[in-house]
Amino acid sequence: MSNWIKVICRLLIALMIWTPYQIATAGVIGTDQVVASTAQADRDSVVSFLTRSDVQRQMQSMGIDPKTAQDRVGAMSDQEVRSLAGRINSLPAGAMNDAWTAVVIVVLIGAAVWWFWRR
Amino acid sequence: MVVLEALDALGRETARNARSIAGVFFVLLASGCASLFPQTAVLRGGLPPELPQTVELRSVPFFPQKEYQCGPAALATVLAAKGVKVTADELVPQVYLPARKGSLQVEMLAATRRHGMVSYLLAPNFEDMLREVAAGNPVVVLQNRGVFSTWHYAVVVGYDYDSATLILRSGEEEREEMRFWSHEFLWARGGYWAMVAVPPERLPATAEEGRYLASVAALERAGGAKAATVAYQTFRKRWPDNVNAAIGLANAHHTLGELTAAEAVLREAEKRDPHSVVVLNNLAQTLSDQGKDAEALPVIERAVGLGGPYANAVLDTRRSILEKLKKN
Repeated sequence: MSNWIKVICRLLIALMIWTPYQIATAGVIGTDQVVASTAQADRDSVVSFLTRSDVQRQMQSMGIDPKTAQDRVGAMSDQEVRSLAGRINSLPAGAMNDAWTAVVIVVLIGAAVWWFWRR
Repeated sequence: MVVLEALDALGRETARNARSIAGVFFVLLASGCASLFPQTAVLRGGLPPELPQTVELRSVPFFPQKEYQCGPAALATVLAAKGVKVTADELVPQVYLPARKGSLQVEMLAATRRHGMVSYLLAPNFEDMLREVAAGNPVVVLQNRGVFSTWHYAVVVGYDYDSATLILRSGEEEREEMRFWSHEFLWARGGYWAMVAVPPERLPATAEEGRYLASVAALERAGGAKAATVAYQTFRKRWPDNVNAAIGLANAHHTLGELTAAEAVLREAEKRDPHSVVVLNNLAQTLSDQGKDAEALPVIERAVGLGGPYANAVLDTRRSILEKLKKN
């Protein structure tokens, strides 16, 4: 029951935010929809709108302020947003922290030397 | 004498055995390596004749990475190489994710668009990567360099085929040399992920029609309508028959308020493909936006007659045109 209310609330919020945007671009069918060439263009744009706000929220929970998160999600294509949804925590994030690898290797060598020394 | 001969025969026998054993090992090793580094193995068979033996893009700048920020550093490298005035520090708030202590691949592609450039994800192919470098486009690659998952972005700026060496801007190293096979080993763990950033007036050397159009559409969507018009025009010089590119170009013009330009592009597209619902719908809307609703009505009626997945949008357009006609 509460799940349903949640879904309906989210849909209403989405539609409320979406309405002015709809009017601003009324009539013209967007390139994103054409290039994606899906059979259910209307439904897809609602779904991807919800996904966008999901991803935005996830980014905020990871230390990004709301305005920055909005700009960053705004630069992504629908397909890219969908590829991130629910996976921000598990996808590769290029960082390169070689220090840990070095620490692990030093510890392993140290342990090996100590072991042989003891014998 | 007899003993010596026997020993000699034994020696020859052993030598033959050793040779065949070595041969077996060699075959195993070679096939093992080939399966570990399949693309390097193919490439060692010969470089495509149109590619130079040695390339080094010496003018590509270097941004040494700080802490975990190889993403911003690598992106700044390829953007600045194409004349964008940006530093790694300025890109940190656009790609760096504090909780992950790193940058996601999607954000590397997305942030590029915010600087008016087209980001293009390369096919997972070693040769394509070399092609881009040879065409003057430094390539961002994702490698996995650690014992555990230690993801790292580096920028390929050159190669030498004879010594099978790549030249990279990487981390704190301005000119890192890496053998083809060792790069492939690290790169394959990242799913052979590679991207280039190109200015809208140029095409990547390995651009494929459908995927490149999606890249330009993503730029248009990300608010780069001005740059996207140029990118669509560049695209149409190479693939003039692509109706979707015409739709995209007209949409970018429409966003910028250049309605006559949008109309001209759509009219030309309508001649090429009179049955495109999207072309008819967008043309009708563009006419209506210019106050030419009487002219728009027969166009939208044709779109209504064709039906299809955009039927709802088409009916909306017709409704708004009829309302405007009633008012006047």
